Amino acid sequence: MRWKNTAIAAACFLLFGGVALAHRVDEYLQATIISLQANQAQASMRLIPGVLVAPSVIDAIDRNHDGVFSESEQRAYAQRVLGDLSITIDGKTISPQLISWSFPAAAQMREGLGEIQIEYSVELPPGAQHRALTLANYHLNPSSVYLMNVVVPQDPNIRIVAQKRNEVQSVYELDYQQTSAVGALSGSSTGRLPAWLNHIQFASLFRLGMRHIAEGTDHLLFLLVLLLPAPLLAIGSRWNRPASIHRGLLRVLGIVTAFTVGHSITLTLAAMNLAHVREQPVEVLIAVSILVTAAHALRPLFPGKEAWIAAFFGLIHGLAFAATLDRLGLARWERVAGILAFNLGIETMQMIVVAVILPSLMLMSRTRAYPVIQVGGAVFAGVASLGWIVGRLLDIPTPVDTIVEAIAHHALWAAAGLFLVSLACRYLPAERPYGSHRIAQDTLLPNLPEMRQTSPRQIL
Amino acid sequence: MRKFFAITAAAFLSLPSFAMAQQTAPTAEIVNAANNLLATLSAEQHQKVLYAFDDANQRARWSNLPTGFVPRGGISLKQMSAPQRNATMKLLATILSPMGLEKVNEIREADDDFKGNGSKRGPGGQGGPPPGQKGPPPQFGGPGGTGGPGRGRPPLSGDMFGSDLYYISFLGTPSTTQPWMLQFGGHHLALNITIAGSKGVLTPTLTGAQPAIFKLNGKTIRPVGRESDKALALLESLDENQRKHAVLAYQVADLVLGPGQDGKKIVPDGLTASAMNAKQQGMLLDLIAEWTGILNEPSATARMAEMKSDLNDMWFAWSGPTTAETGSNITAYYRIQGPHLVIEYAPQRDEPGNHVHTMYRDPTNDYGSGLLKP
Repeated sequence: MRWKNTAIAAACFLLFGGVALAHRVDEYLQATIISLQANQAQASMRLIPGVLVAPSVIDAIDRNHDGVFSESEQRAYAQRVLGDLSITIDGKTISPQLISWSFPAAAQMREGLGEIQIEYSVELPPGAQHRALTLANYHLNPSSVYLMNVVVPQDPNIRIVAQKRNEVQSVYELDYQQTSAVGALSGSSTGRLPAWLNHIQFASLFRLGMRHIAEGTDHLLFLLVLLLPAPLLAIGSRWNRPASIHRGLLRVLGIVTAFTVGHSITLTLAAMNLAHVREQPVEVLIAVSILVTAAHALRPLFPGKEAWIAAFFGLIHGLAFAATLDRLGLARWERVAGILAFNLGIETMQMIVVAVILPSLMLMSRTRAYPVIQVGGAVFAGVASLGWIVGRLLDIPTPVDTIVEAIAHHALWAAAGLFLVSLACRYLPAERPYGSHRIAQDTLLPNLPEMRQTSPRQIL
Repeated sequence: MRKFFAITAAAFLSLPSFAMAQQTAPTAEIVNAANNLLATLSAEQHQKVLYAFDDANQRARWSNLPTGFVPRGGISLKQMSAPQRNATMKLLATILSPMGLEKVNEIREADDDFKGNGSKRGPGGQGGPPPGQKGPPPQFGGPGGTGGPGRGRPPLSGDMFGSDLYYISFLGTPSTTQPWMLQFGGHHLALNITIAGSKGVLTPTLTGAQPAIFKLNGKTIRPVGRESDKALALLESLDENQRKHAVLAYQVADLVLGPGQDGKKIVPDGLTASAMNAKQQGMLLDLIAEWTGILNEPSATARMAEMKSDLNDMWFAWSGPTTAETGSNITAYYRIQGPHLVIEYAPQRDEPGNHVHTMYRDPTNDYGSGLLKP
């Protein structure tokens, strides 16, 4: 604490010639006022970084470091803030929709002046009479202070019963009644607050973990490409006939577990402040890991050792998860539970993805259509990873994110489509896809452009 | 006999107008003082100081920040001649109570002290800028924070702080019948006064100070000191059960309804005044009077009557340390809320006992909007 105060004093001294400016210094104030209606809630956020926090916030907004907050950078940052919120109604996750945003000039923000304003809304599905809306804000948690409030509802049928907050107001619960007016307005309810807090924080971090992997398309792509050759057996330098279902499932289980062990290790180490790596090299390495696995899906590079490779790359992916957890930030005492909740969220989403995709892959691996999926998927992942590597190394925008995210956006339809295709493939001529009548890779290659168009939907 | 009748009739007839004259006299005095000031201004100054009554931008152009960062409308005391400055102070003395005028002057004196001595927290605890301390501003924050946009900052000359950097402006023309507004403010001060006939409204108004405790001519000055002392006394008068409700379990880092947050009515928290005894309720009203009493009579009394009738729906909430040394300022946040009131007292976290912002609002009557409804 002492060094921090000294640093602030020194900073003010140097910045303002000994005249400390009359405003926020080392904190990021995030003030939210919610306005509650019958079927939706609107929230207005004001985000005000102090002079010492401003450079890192400016960095986070101004991704191309040109000194200007472009329209797309503003939107991306506003979305990122919303991404760091966890909102539920009656225990059900609801996602915020961005309505509007406004940013001060970067120069103004560097002075510790000016505020970012973000307006968003959440839909509130009909529910019971007694309702609970929770809002947890994990955006740049370590340096932030929070204000959470609700305006007196205009709707006479909505009555605020209680507001609960954790000590820093980053976690907030609004209990209300939605009916004709009964009972009196009551203030804070502090009953069993610690238990409530643990529950809310655990649940909200679990959901953020799930969302992180669901939206972290690079992690997902890595996992999917790793699964691609799992139902097959390698013979020599080529993928060959399908492995037995039993063996295939065991292998998948091994791969997913190894990946989990790997990323859990580095996530824990980094979250405990025992390891720290800069974000950019980690992001590049993740793209490399996709490239390597894509190559492996084409030609077995490390047959039978997929689990080890998954564990090794898991270590790298864990560092990226840790960077997210670091941004969300947690007080020391919350860390162990926080890591656990976040990691469990990642795991759960991973298992859901595997459970949705694997049956299709297993079914198709027994048909002659599989090489199409396998090669197409691997080539798509390879191209995407190359795009990411270049983009992340040179810090330039590439169309990869847009394309992959567009596909991920329709992930459920894609998965359903893949399953239908795999069912249809069962009715293909019962010719063994691999073996003596194997279709030569060379004859497949000319068709590649087509596959590139169809396969992304299919693998996701 | 006829003569007597005529006198009596005249007396009866003049009674209502006499009463009316009594009522409007303060407004007439204020309008006089305003017109006296306007008469001293040049045509150019005149134009600068007058805005349309419904100029929403100028209404909201107030802040806790120094005028060098957030420029105010109107003209400053610094830009005035001595007679103009006198006329301005005369107007303030008419529209504000003696207590209110003293508060305003002490806030301005605090800014003089800040200009001369700076924050007392400089390295080594020395105030004052070191001679010739310039050079490039250091870089803070994470990697990649170097360079970047907007290195140019407003010049930190003498034009940043000081008791003469307070601005006056009018919205609408001073009148005893038509509504108009007077704004006076600068660093840590924003008075927004709406006058409509005999009624005066002070909301929204911001007061504050850094330093919030300093010495001037051997006398200790605390511009918002009673706001601290009376609140602490009220807190100390609460029993254990009342305290459990009044003292919040969470931090409040700053004003919730500061500049720019007009017309918002948030759900209150803390202890209801209906759960206070008569003595505590009296202390609460006395604390509220530190804001309602800034305006002169009869507005202050009218406003206090409204506070008294709202008493059972008032809330008092406290967040932060529950003690303070005698003669020093609390380092806690508190809020008083009622159907027509929000008062917030927010110690600023860079220098908690010595840097305070306070906010005084009526969410139903910002800029007198409640008075002007048809």
